[in-house]
Amino acid sequence: MAVRIEKTFQVQEPIDQVWKLLSDPRNVAGCVPGARITEAVDERTFKGSVSVKVGPSVTDYKGEVRFERLDAAAHEMELVGKGQDVKGRGSASMKMTGRLRSLPDGGTEVATVAEVNVIGILAQFGGRMINDVSDVMFGEFTKRFQKRLQESAGAVKPAVAPAAGQDPVAPTPAAPVAVETTAPEQPPAEPVNAAAVFFAALRAAIRRFFHRLLGGSA
Amino acid sequence: MAKTQRVHVKLNGQEREAEIEPRLLLAHFIRDVLGLTGTHLGCDTSNCGACTVILDGRPIKSCTFFAVQADGRELLTIEGMMRDGKLHPLQQGFHEEHGLQCGFCTPGMILSAYALLRGNPSPSEEEIRWGISGNMCRCTGYQNIVKAIQNAAAKMQQEGVAA
Amino acid sequence: MIAKTSPEIGGLGHSVKRKEDLRLIQGKGNFVDDVRLAGMVYGQAVRSPFAHARIRSVNVENALALPGVLAVITGKDLEKAGLAWMPTLFHDRQMVLAVDKVLFQSQEVAFVVAEDRYTAADAAELVEVEYEELPVLVDPHRALDPDSPILREDREEKTNHIFHWEVGDREATDRTFQQAEVRAQVNAIFQRCHPAPLETCGCVADYNTGTGRLTLWLTSQAPHAHRTLFAIVGGIPENNIRVISPDIGGGFGNKVPIYPGYVCAVVASLKLGRPVKWIETRSENLQSTGFARDYHMTAEIAAGRDGRVKALRVKTLADHGAFNAAAQPSKFPAGLFSVCTGSYDFQKAFCEVDGVYTNKAPGGIAYRCSFRVTEAAYLIERAMDVLAQELKADPAELRLKNFIPPDRFPYQSPLGWSYDSGNYAAAMNRALEMAGYQELRKEQAAKRAKGELMGIGISSFTEIVGAGPAHTFDIAGIKMFDSCEIRVHPTGKAIARFGTKSQGQGHETAFGQIVAQELGIPVADITVEEGDTDTAPYGLGTYASRSTPTAGAAGAMAARKIRDKAKKIAAFLLEASEEDLEWEPGRFSVKGVPGKSKTIQEIAFAAYTNIPPGLEAGLEAVHYYDPPNLTFPFGTYICVVDIDKGTGETKVRRFIAVDDCGNIINPMIVDGQIHGGLTEGLGIAFMQLISYDESGNVQGGNFMDYLVPTAMETPHWETDKTCTPSPHHPFGAKGVGESPNVGSPAAFVNAVVDALAHLGVKHIDMPLTPWKVWQILKQKGVVD
Repeated sequence: MAVRIEKTFQVQEPIDQVWKLLSDPRNVAGCVPGARITEAVDERTFKGSVSVKVGPSVTDYKGEVRFERLDAAAHEMELVGKGQDVKGRGSASMKMTGRLRSLPDGGTEVATVAEVNVIGILAQFGGRMINDVSDVMFGEFTKRFQKRLQESAGAVKPAVAPAAGQDPVAPTPAAPVAVETTAPEQPPAEPVNAAAVFFAALRAAIRRFFHRLLGGSA
Repeated sequence: MAKTQRVHVKLNGQEREAEIEPRLLLAHFIRDVLGLTGTHLGCDTSNCGACTVILDGRPIKSCTFFAVQADGRELLTIEGMMRDGKLHPLQQGFHEEHGLQCGFCTPGMILSAYALLRGNPSPSEEEIRWGISGNMCRCTGYQNIVKAIQNAAAKMQQEGVAA
Repeated sequence: MIAKTSPEIGGLGHSVKRKEDLRLIQGKGNFVDDVRLAGMVYGQAVRSPFAHARIRSVNVENALALPGVLAVITGKDLEKAGLAWMPTLFHDRQMVLAVDKVLFQSQEVAFVVAEDRYTAADAAELVEVEYEELPVLVDPHRALDPDSPILREDREEKTNHIFHWEVGDREATDRTFQQAEVRAQVNAIFQRCHPAPLETCGCVADYNTGTGRLTLWLTSQAPHAHRTLFAIVGGIPENNIRVISPDIGGGFGNKVPIYPGYVCAVVASLKLGRPVKWIETRSENLQSTGFARDYHMTAEIAAGRDGRVKALRVKTLADHGAFNAAAQPSKFPAGLFSVCTGSYDFQKAFCEVDGVYTNKAPGGIAYRCSFRVTEAAYLIERAMDVLAQELKADPAELRLKNFIPPDRFPYQSPLGWSYDSGNYAAAMNRALEMAGYQELRKEQAAKRAKGELMGIGISSFTEIVGAGPAHTFDIAGIKMFDSCEIRVHPTGKAIARFGTKSQGQGHETAFGQIVAQELGIPVADITVEEGDTDTAPYGLGTYASRSTPTAGAAGAMAARKIRDKAKKIAAFLLEASEEDLEWEPGRFSVKGVPGKSKTIQEIAFAAYTNIPPGLEAGLEAVHYYDPPNLTFPFGTYICVVDIDKGTGETKVRRFIAVDDCGNIINPMIVDGQIHGGLTEGLGIAFMQLISYDESGNVQGGNFMDYLVPTAMETPHWETDKTCTPSPHHPFGAKGVGESPNVGSPAAFVNAVVDALAHLGVKHIDMPLTPWKVWQILKQKGVVD
């Protein structure tokens, strides 16, 4: 079951800082609820896992994320990820493109387009909810990402002038080193609580339905 | 060892109790623990209604209810429908009007009809169809079930008895 | 002419109230999941989430370590016993538990056994399977593309093509088409759906180490055939297997195949020496057990401008899923689909069917289909309406013009069937009368002028049931006779056992009525039993509307054997010669001597207490009936619909069903069958679809998505009968259970298309959901 999700959000931080954070999958993983990077296969390919908790049982999706394309000049990236549930209950794959754009106020707009394909039980029961569940998870992601941005802004002095996104202090946003014993700090992966996500998504879907019904725009 | 809990219910007028896991569904409690197999399971998404029982006077789907939630409450299953050793008018009506074929939906259907007639002793055909719309039947096409319920309603009105 | 018996005897034609009701209305039925045996444990399958994948590993350690888990069976375990694969009912084999790869989502990969249901569910969660995904094939039209994955690597020929089957005269048919004045064509898909009986499939396998016998409580429509197959495939001596089909909560063809769950439960019971219960969930039922239809069909009719049909040409692609598990007679890969010339007198016809594999659940024959007659009837009835539209002719008149006339029976169809009897015009005219057809057409014209959408759909189907004669019909080699054994007790009561197995059709009552009719013993005094292979005579079971034509006939024949012996006893008791005796239901009398008679009860008593010399004691008989032909029930259905222009919802305003199933045993039961079958047809026409997305995820795999009509959607059914007896059946009966499902989908679809015909609509594929119809309305610019 293939689903296309488009999401755009804005942050205050300048483009190069955002790019630096976004182009390191360990940072990104740290912001996806329940995800962690476990191994760097090479500078573009990483193995990781996402834990999903439904009631008392926890499911681990294990898989791989690869940066197909990292264009630092144009601030565009393409990620491909694929994971399989270790117990053999399904799999998911995703192709995501991300594009950064400098905003007049010095901030950055992050635009992502993801194509997600889900196979297994989730596709049967969850098909109708995938969009809304993704919405909720993405909302969580952007919250955490923004928090991280602010934290890293605190550690590294941002450029005051809304210049062409250059931060002299931050290291160049090159691809991360192949093997690192001290990976950038990532919080312990708490499994995302699928039931909570589901109900949040349900609430969101119902709200949206009534909003549309009463003449509002989506 | 799994955690267990003691549950007391008044089942068809009789006090019953058992030590069970909190996650045990009421339908399984009735069938496997209390041994009354008239309540049937026809699906896993609470759509079919075969598991309908009456809890404190109201119809519920026992597949979507935990046994522990029934603690201290009153349950009526199909086995409790007989009155003084005689068939309930609904049971009689289903027999007279050929309101059943394979019989699998019948207990749940009769109990839903029971709940309907308690609230509405003289329902129209549309009210009957609405009243049993939570119970799936694959065999009868509902036509004779409607007649069966009308048959029972008429008889009970005549005899001046409530459902 | 059939003698009418008294209501007390309750022979043919009486609407006797059912004996099976008493236990069922009290909740005291004995369904398979009600069976509880000492020491019984529970099994659950672990299933593949992938439609096509290699199995890299199956890790059962964590599952086995869970307290309460007794065993976990994998494909490799079964492979060691030669049981990883089993034969299907149709010249193929299917996996019991996957070893190297899986071929459809929800396919069984392992089987856990635990002390209780919940522990078994916990254990199933703990089995870890590692898969390597493979490309998926879900479009049958792509099955033969060179770049499509080959699914069945186990077969010698590496192709997704299963069979090609053809019948009729291709050249003559093509020539007729070349010369035709008018041609009409329809491409009609009969979508994949599922019978969904309210009780899912399951079993209790009880291998008793003390007796060495396996008792198998089974949701089976064919207990004897299943016993034989278990013996052959499982290597268990057939005398040590007892299959008991107790109360069955609906079958509709879903309970004819043998499922992996049964085999795993038997293996587990043999291994553990304890009874093993396996009951599938509804999701498992919809996603892995015998589905129905999935026929992609094209029909062309060549006709004259005067509306007389001349030739029919049919081409069909059959999607069988991952294994050809279609349960049908062994010589018919497309079942009885070649009855697709229907009720009409075609001079020439040709029909070809190709079957293919896809990554979907296996099967194809199910859901009250009479072995693909549902597909055939739907196709021809749709095609006739398309022809009517082409000719701007009235669909009723077009049919009447082309019906096989009554004096042509027995009728040889151009595709090889010999129709026993029929009077199609009588059923049609009765239906038209009941509907008030001319007034309806006037009403439709008036409504159309106001922009309202009203439709009238007609379906005049011919069914073909009662499989079947031994020269042509067998399932997995076992000929399709059926049987009855009757024993009359000293006090004049009787027990009759049959080789069929009712799943709600009322045999306990109706089949007793057959014996009552023949012997004059009151039906209340006759016990009817089915389903226990230790006691019932061998039969092929109940499906394809075959019970009355085969086992019912056997009952009549066995009863007549008893009557023959009863005559001898009566002659002895009355000191008369047999030629001087005359029979009326329940007694033999001496001709011309009033008062000199013996009742059947007196005769029965004498059979044990005053036996004529030279005669054996007792009063019993058994008969195995080989039907000389199939039977051909028929009918006309008329459906009146109103379409809501705002929502696309179709409201069935009226449905008239005139059926002809020959002589009727119990009118009340027959009407119940009609109501039920029409309701299933309603579900199929408007709501039901099992589909797969491009990754092979099943859509419609649970009751949230797979819709079953409730009392709210189901209209009031107006029924009537005509009666054209079968000339070859012992009491002229034909069978009727599936007629409503055979005839109704076309009536519903024809009605909706008729409502939209003036907008240029020729055909819409089922299910006619409000969304689908609304989109058409939008396209045509008529949405409210």
